[in-house]
Order: sequence, then structure tokens, then C-alpha cells
Amino acid sequence: MSDHFSGPRALSEPSADITDVYAFPAPDSPSHLVLVLDVFGKAGPSAVFSDAVIYRFRIRPVDIAGTGAEAAFEPGQSEFVFDFTFDVPNGRSGSGRPIQQGRCVTPNGNTISFHVDNENGDANGGVRVFAGQRSEPFFLDVRMIEKTAATSKLSFKPKGSDTLYGTNILAIVIEFEWRKILKGGPLFAVVCETLAAGKRPVRIERVGRPEIKNVTLSWKQFDQVNKDLEIRDLYNSEDAFDLKADYFDVYRNRMNANLAFHDALDGKIDWPLDQHGNHPLTKLLLADFLVVDASKPFAEASYFEIERSMLENRPHGTPGGRWLNQDFMDFVYTLYVNGGNGPPISDGVDGPIAWSSKTFPYLAPPNPAKAPAA
Amino acid sequence: MIDLSEISSPLTLTDGAIAVLNLQAQIEGLEGPGTSAEGAILIDLLILRGLILGRINDYERAAALADCLVSAAITDATAYLVRARTHAVFHRFPEALDDLDHADLISPQGAAADRERATILQAMGHYHEALATYEACTVDCGGQFERVAALAGFWAERGKTETAHHFYLDSQRSYRGVSPFPLALLDFQLGLMWMRQDRLNEARKCFRTAVRRVPAFAAAQGHLAEVDAELGESEAAIGRLIPLATASDDPDYTAQLARILGEIGRGEESIAWRRIAANRYDELTAAHPAAFADHAAEFWLGVGNDPQKGLRFAEFNLRVRKTSRAYDLLAKALDANTAGAASAPSFGVHLPN
Repeated sequence: MSDHFSGPRALSEPSADITDVYAFPAPDSPSHLVLVLDVFGKAGPSAVFSDAVIYRFRIRPVDIAGTGAEAAFEPGQSEFVFDFTFDVPNGRSGSGRPIQQGRCVTPNGNTISFHVDNENGDANGGVRVFAGQRSEPFFLDVRMIEKTAATSKLSFKPKGSDTLYGTNILAIVIEFEWRKILKGGPLFAVVCETLAAGKRPVRIERVGRPEIKNVTLSWKQFDQVNKDLEIRDLYNSEDAFDLKADYFDVYRNRMNANLAFHDALDGKIDWPLDQHGNHPLTKLLLADFLVVDASKPFAEASYFEIERSMLENRPHGTPGGRWLNQDFMDFVYTLYVNGGNGPPISDGVDGPIAWSSKTFPYLAPPNPAKAPAA
Repeated sequence: MIDLSEISSPLTLTDGAIAVLNLQAQIEGLEGPGTSAEGAILIDLLILRGLILGRINDYERAAALADCLVSAAITDATAYLVRARTHAVFHRFPEALDDLDHADLISPQGAAADRERATILQAMGHYHEALATYEACTVDCGGQFERVAALAGFWAERGKTETAHHFYLDSQRSYRGVSPFPLALLDFQLGLMWMRQDRLNEARKCFRTAVRRVPAFAAAQGHLAEVDAELGESEAAIGRLIPLATASDDPDYTAQLARILGEIGRGEESIAWRRIAANRYDELTAAHPAAFADHAAEFWLGVGNDPQKGLRFAEFNLRVRKTSRAYDLLAKALDANTAGAASAPSFGVHLPN
């Protein structure tokens, strides 16, 4: 799953387990940027945000530092942060949901107080925020992904089974006029984090790009260097904008091995490794943040378009980033397996139970609770 | 003497009420069809909720789901691993060890399974093997917190207070999560250790810390009530026990309530609660004899007032696990049935079987 259940620590604190991050220009207002942070995959109706966790959006202006074989980003040093915190719930709403309040501190120091689950959102100083339970926007067939890894054969069926069908997450949405709130750009790098609150907040998890920790880093069996090592908690603890040299090779080896495994699934090599054994995508993917061009108008399927254009030495044409309704698993398997040189690969799941809308707060309302199995 | 300033670390933990809401939400969210891995997580969460809220029906459901998981995925090591946990919950130790062996045969399970094995060996009274296995886990891998917390629990069970306290403080320092459950469970284990040493004030501090972290933690509330009563605060104890006895399907709280009410002369209320506890112990010892033999023996030797029945369960309990507490319980039962019977505290009339 995109980043669902991504590591032992995330599992023990579901409300700090980031499932997905999205960044896109507002569909009806190109001057506004929208960022979404989802946590708590498969959340039941009583799910609430933790009062001990800071939910953080980090945004930095970013430059394209190289193209072609040297494609790379260079994030700037200036950083803009939105921090969300939550109270202990007090009572229940008419729908039975716990009543919870929260606060958002914006990059310019304004505080926006809000009620969780308020569909209209709350706004202050040109920033509109929403936090609450919504329908899971991500869709995929986990069983067939696992089977693919276990058998080394693409195992998707024409009609797959959505592992997340009808489930809910907790979402935080912010929308703001980017030229007023941020400086620099229009190319920005976005990463979201959950941190244990306190005098010195400790990072619990971080997410930028989708399916890095699960599809791209989780399989151990192809990694000839660290076959037995669960590296995702270690990876989570790193600063996305400043990966420490100490463990960089651990991540790089794992990613090279897993990307090479995927490339071989169709029996041909579309991504030849360089003389050091590095996969052409490894460097870009280890720059694990969403890169969005806020000056471009909204596009439906633009994830990785900026990176592809860098690899192909051409200017990008879309905002990149990531929109809620993109069929990400089809995209990523096509990218990893044939690099776009072959037929599109489909996991047989073409949509969630409900599509996200193009109006605030974008994600569809939550689904009803499931009955326990007998 | 335990120093609470050592316990009150600057850890930031999720509020206990939120943690319980989210535990509930995790369980609700994983209900229905899912992957084998999700089934295993659901089973672990049900066991945790059973432990925190004192819900035996959560354990029963976890055990039923684990059987289904193994039937549906006989080559899945994780299925055997979680079924081993449910067997261990019901003190079916040989079956639990068989499942761990089976899981290891399918694929080596590493430190998590080793800790599971050590916990079972400890519960069976095989202390040397348990300790060796815990210490082997240290070389292997696994989280630092899990390692030292397991050792704190081991030494607490063995009554080595200084060593247990040392590992307890170590585990606090190594904790990196925000969930309050692991720490509350550890506070509880330390509280039990002090209680067994008759150091009731220390026990009370630990149980209070556990309850402060997770107010709904039934076992901590129940033992805190027991300590309160021992320290002469019977009304406070009764106030804690009535909601537990009403909400939980674990008869321990009902039995404690009956005992305390009896001791302060509220005989009719005591008999009413005692009857409820007796019926429930009979149900549970019929369904899960190994799991409830020790608590049932304690009940029948005490407020249940049927020493012969208590002796039968104490003997059975010793067959299940040869721990020092099992031997102590049998000695107590023999005493109640022989020379000591005449001087044993009387809790009134026999209840019909």
C-alpha cells in the first residue's frame, strides 16, 4: 500500500502512520496550492488524531540540479512549515464520532483553530484547513503485489480486488495562496512527517513519494547486502532533505535491488544499471519528497512527470506533485517494469469506492463501518 | 523504595482515552475480509484489547480467528505465530510451542518469535531456558525497548526487585513510541511484583501510574483496588471494582468485590457478587481449564469457600505450569484442606456447584 502500515513503529501508533501525501494546484484556482496528509489506514469510526503527535507539512523551494543520467533535485535551505496538533476528544457528535478540536500553526506563525470533521474547513490569513475522517482515496490489490514479489511473476488479474475498498483514513487538508505564504518557487518539495511532541520532537514517520517504503524498500529477499534487515523505521527516522551518509548505502542497495527485480519482471531490461550498480531511478526516488510546480495548472495524472522530463532532458509540462485520483499502482508498475517502453501494466483495480471531488476538502466522505466477521 | 521521579520521565504519550478509541478503531477497521497479514494484526489487537479492557471474549475471538487463519493459510508462518500467542493466552503452552516450532520450520521467525517462546517458557516455570532465550534475543536483533521490557517482566516475575527495577528504568529510557500501552503494561508488571512482596505502597504507585497512563486498564484498576483494600481503603476499592465487575466478563473483579464486601460486613451484597463470580468461574474453567485454574483455585480457596474444589484446581494448575506461584498455591490449598482448614477465614455458606 502507498505507505500504509510502513514499519513496526508506525503499526504501534496508527494515528501517526502516514498512509499518503498529495500535492496539487487547486483545480478551480491555479493560484492556490493544496496539500493532503492521510494517516491511520483502515480507520474504524472511532479513530481520532493523537494529542501526542505533531502532524507536519514541510515545504522547501527546490531546483533542478541535473538532467539526463545526472538527473537530481537540490532543495533550498529555506523551509515553510505547517504544524497540526490535536486535543483529547470531548464527547461524541450526533453521528457518534468523538468530538475533537485542533490547531494549525502556519509558516507565518498564525494559529488556526478548527473542529475535526468540519467539511467546510476553517480559515485564517489566506489558509484553509480541514481535518477529519474521509474515504480512503488510494486503491490497489495487495495480494497480487505480494504474489508478484513471491513468485517473481507479474500476478495481477484483469479484475483485481481492492484491498482498501470501502475503508477510511484520517485526512488533513490545507489550501493556500502559495505566493503569499511561501517564498521562492514555483518548484517546491513537499514532505510530511509525524513527530512525537515534546521539548524535542522526535520523528516517527515521514512520507514524500508514494510506495517508497512498501513496494520499493520493503522486500528484503532481493537485497544481497542486508537480506534480513527491516530498514523502514531507520529510513523513517531520517530527514528527507538531509539523508545522513551513515545509512545511505543501505537504502541505496535495497532500492537498487528492488528496482532491478521489478525491471526484470517482463523478461527484458529497460533500466540498465550504471557501472556502480545503481538503477537510474534510485537517486531521484531517494530524493523522497513530492515535487510540485505551483505555477502550472491542475492536471489529473502528473506524478513523476517532472522527473521523467528531467531524465529525458526536456522541460516539464505539468505541475507534477500528486493528485488524489491518479491510478498510482498502474503508473508505478509500468514505470518500474518497462519504463513506458512497453504496454501499460494494470493491477486490475481502476478506482476507489468513491472518487475524490475537485472541491474542498476534496476527499470523499467516510464510508459506513463494516460488520465484524462471524 | 521505588522513586517515582525516576518513573515520571518526560515521555510524551498519547492520552489513554485516545489510545483506547484508536485501538477500537483499528479493530473495527480490520474487521471483514482482509489479507493474512491483516488477520494476524487483528488477532494481536484483540489480544491487546482483551488485556487492557479485561475482556475474555476478545481472547476467545482472537483464538477462533487464529484457528481460521491457520486453516486458510497452512503454509503461512505468521498464522502459526499468532495462533501460538492465542494458545499462550489460554495457557495451552505445549500447543503454543508446537505452533512456534511450526512457524520456524516454514521460515525462521527471528527475535519476535524467540521472545514469544521465552515468555511461554517463563510461564511454564522453565526459567533457565526462558532467560537464555531472552538473552539470545539480545544478540539477534529486535527493539531495545522490547528486549529490556521483557527482562524487566522476567525479573519481576522472579521477585528480583532490584534487577527488575533496573530493567524497568532502562525500558523507560529506551521507549521511542507514543502509545501508552507498552509502558502501562510494564508499570502493571512492576506493581504485581511489589504486591507479591507485600510492599503495598510501591505496588500502589505502580498501579496508579499504569492507570494514569490508561484509565481503562482493567487489570491495573482491579489490582489497585485490591491494594487500596489491603491498605484499609475499602470504599475506594469498592468504587473502583463495581464498574469493572459490571462491565468485564472476567470474574476476578467480581470475586474481589465479593471478598471486600464480605470483609466489611456487607454480607448480602457479597453473596450476590460471589454467586456471579462462581458461575463465571465454572463457565470459564469448563471452557478453558488451563487458563483459569489458578484464579479459580484462588477464588474457591477464598471467598468462594470450597477448599476441595480449590485444591482440585490448584493441582491441575501445577500440572499446567510448574512455577513457584503454582507450588505456593498448591501448598495453600493443601493447608486449607487439612490442618489449616479449621483456622481458615470463613466467607459464609457453600455455594451450590
